[in-house]
Amino acid sequence: ENISDFSLNITDCTQVVVPEEVFFTVAAAGILENLLILIAVVRNKNLHLPMYFFICSLAISDMLGSLYKTLENIFIILCKMGYLTRHGDFEKKLDDAMDSMFILSLLGSIFSLLAIAADRYITIFYALRYHNIMTLRRALVILAIIWAFCAGSSIAIALFSYEAATVIPFTILFPLMMFFILCLYVHMFLLARSHAKKIASLPSSTVHHRTNMKGAITLTIFLGVFLCCWAPFVLHILLARFCPHNPYCACYMSIFHVNGTLIMCNAIINPMIFAFRSPELRSTFKKMFYCSR
Amino acid sequence: MSALRLISNRTSQQALSNSDYTWDYEYYEYGPVSFEGLKAHKYSIVIGFWVGLAVFVIFMFFVLTLLTKTGAPHQDNAEISDKRFHMNSFVADFGKPLESERVFSPQMAEESQSLFHFCINEVGHMNKEKESQKGPSLQSNTHFQEVPKSSGIFEEDLHCLTKFNIPNFVNTEQNSSLGEDDLLISEPPIIL
Repeated sequence: ENISDFSLNITDCTQVVVPEEVFFTVAAAGILENLLILIAVVRNKNLHLPMYFFICSLAISDMLGSLYKTLENIFIILCKMGYLTRHGDFEKKLDDAMDSMFILSLLGSIFSLLAIAADRYITIFYALRYHNIMTLRRALVILAIIWAFCAGSSIAIALFSYEAATVIPFTILFPLMMFFILCLYVHMFLLARSHAKKIASLPSSTVHHRTNMKGAITLTIFLGVFLCCWAPFVLHILLARFCPHNPYCACYMSIFHVNGTLIMCNAIINPMIFAFRSPELRSTFKKMFYCSR
Repeated sequence: MSALRLISNRTSQQALSNSDYTWDYEYYEYGPVSFEGLKAHKYSIVIGFWVGLAVFVIFMFFVLTLLTKTGAPHQDNAEISDKRFHMNSFVADFGKPLESERVFSPQMAEESQSLFHFCINEVGHMNKEKESQKGPSLQSNTHFQEVPKSSGIFEEDLHCLTKFNIPNFVNTEQNSSLGEDDLLISEPPIIL
């Protein structure tokens, strides 16, 4: 009767399961979209610019996140079908490798967003010196440093995930970066607003207040999407570390798969709000698709 | 992530001797979690978290829109920019790069501004002819490259400026309601 009591208690907050078809569709869409962006940037020489390289870096980290989820699901299915043993050493190593891939994706996303925001900031506030400050070579060096750091930290975190110390910096990094990116964008936004006000004071131009609203909407979308897609998972990690027995925490942790799906949705949404806003990239896509037909 | 399962298993199920490492869809085989005697709803953390997140995003949005309605701090640059106004083809809902209160060396400013102005004017004329329905966009790498080569002495500077990138997020969405004349225009000179 202990077991039945147990199961009764557990069924109070059962795992919310996302259907596998939904999972795989979302993951495949994310991977495809980001792959398209990479191909477009590689093929079009006009897009060999620091700005697009940072967008590519974001696309790569999104792709890694979706790829991780897909592979993990495939492995679980293989396990259920019996092709892989559950307790093997090889599987353990594979699992560690995949965990580190996921953390790499998260860190890569955060740092890519930071790089994009910093690039835009330099473009606005140091416009004339921009392509002396941000040369192609420097952009590549920055990306190499970012990815080396992310790879190192992800391997370290995956190896030492049982230590309490790894969870805390991981969850502190997230809001810190968000806050920093927010500050950069708000400063840019203030500049744009004052510029708009100045223009509005001229007699010859007509200004719509809607254009300032669009800036606010754009900025809110950027940060809101990232926050809504990643914060649930980060909270999950915190709760798993600090209160796994609490029933409230347990109920939150039961929606783990939904949180994972949100991360993959972020991989789909990010290209739309960063990459597809560029007409050059859009025209490259059109060329790619029309040539293939 | 099964790494997380490792964490929870080690802390909660030390009495269990079987392997705590399994591939499973159910990531969390909870120890004795009792759901009795809950004062609040069991999904209260979930609901509270999402409500808090929504409130935060809406709050951020309202702060940003409030910023659009309050006064501008850069009034002192108004005279300088008023003299140089003759450009009219960039979208400016966000991030127009070109003014800040920092000023670099004046002579460099002068010649750069005039060069830049010339280029922007060229682009402006090109844009007017070509892109009338969609409205000029900022990340106009292609527009820069379409500037006619007959621009003489500024040719090499135009080549430099072909690499000039202005953030692409300033471009509005597809259903842009900004017509040609609605745009916040007139690039003032760059005062950095």
